[in-house]
Amino acid sequence: MSPVPGHGLAKGLAVTLRTMTRRSVTHQYPDAAPHLPPRSRGVIALFEENCTVCMLCARECPDWCIYIDSHKETVPPAAPGGRERSRNVLDRFAIDFALCMYCGICIEVCPFDALFWSPEFEYAETDIRELTHERDKLREWMWTVPTPPALDPGAEEPKEIAAARKTAEKLAAAQETAAQQTETPEGGA
Amino acid sequence: MDVTPQPQLLPEPRRLGTLARLAPEPMKVVLNWGRRYSLWVFNFGLACCAIEFIAASMARHDFIRLGVIPFAPGPRQADLMIVSGTVTDKMAPAVKRLYEQMPEPKYVISFGACSNCGGPYWDSYSVTKGVDQIIPVDVYVPGCPPRPEALLQGILKLQEKIARESLGERYADGSGAAGGNGAGPHPSPAALTSALVTPPPAPAADAGPADASAPGEGGR
Repeated sequence: MSPVPGHGLAKGLAVTLRTMTRRSVTHQYPDAAPHLPPRSRGVIALFEENCTVCMLCARECPDWCIYIDSHKETVPPAAPGGRERSRNVLDRFAIDFALCMYCGICIEVCPFDALFWSPEFEYAETDIRELTHERDKLREWMWTVPTPPALDPGAEEPKEIAAARKTAEKLAAAQETAAQQTETPEGGA
Repeated sequence: MDVTPQPQLLPEPRRLGTLARLAPEPMKVVLNWGRRYSLWVFNFGLACCAIEFIAASMARHDFIRLGVIPFAPGPRQADLMIVSGTVTDKMAPAVKRLYEQMPEPKYVISFGACSNCGGPYWDSYSVTKGVDQIIPVDVYVPGCPPRPEALLQGILKLQEKIARESLGERYADGSGAAGGNGAGPHPSPAALTSALVTPPPAPAADAGPADASAPGEGGR
């Protein structure tokens, strides 16, 4: 095709030269940790203070890879004359990460925000039985969960923060009126 | 498994040569070092996880940095087999046959939930529940699919294992860690099942109101 002999070779070498001057795109993984965004699907972390053992996650899991054991405890009435309450106490929370398909349904379905995505991915094992991670390991992963990205500037306030702020304001207002009421009789007397 | 005929096992050398047996300890260290950093890899890509394997082999993640050499001409030239994807019962004899064709010492990485234990298809009629049912697996990489970095970490884990291992122990008995009749030593069902965790009896039984109020007030 080309009239000049060696034309193709020159073209190829030009590509080589061009690529040589560019930086390589290789990520130096074992030396440099990859930058992973929040909510990366690395591993599922458990914040067990929020867990009420409702078992929704275990029931919704398409793989049935979540194992939960619990027992009931009776709590005496908070005020005298009240009724005894029973509540669930978590005994075991384990996720079989050999089986987990990382769909995140358990995290979506958790009504009390006890499960979170953590971007950790370095947990290959030499024995498959060690891939079932118990609650203490899931808790350690909890501290690797990054903070969620900030809301948009004009976004609505999150509900729980709004509720907490409203309660705090109400409490402050009540204290203020109480203080005024105690002050006025003192001033009058 | 009852329906399929018993596969013909290839004759495999199952013992160490004299030189390897009598080699002094430093020589074994050197041999392990050599095995560790020239793992010719044989990609057994069966499903979507193979895409992540390919990503790990290309320029961005580039596992040749770790001494893993892709595109072995065939199983007879490979040291490491990475089974990535769903192993079906139809495919299982081929996986086993190609594993048997690899020269010793050979290593297997199971990549992804499907080849670890069946993954989302654990209840399927046609999927092998884990490639470790037919061949011994050295490293399990969890994920669905795992990140390419997770494969790199699995390779690092395997290299640590190779550095520690002794071939004498590997081929000590007839089956060895490499598995005589294909499958490694299977754990007993009792080791794989766990009873209900017994709740701590103390707080409910003896000191009811004294300490039960404290977690009750805490209100989980």
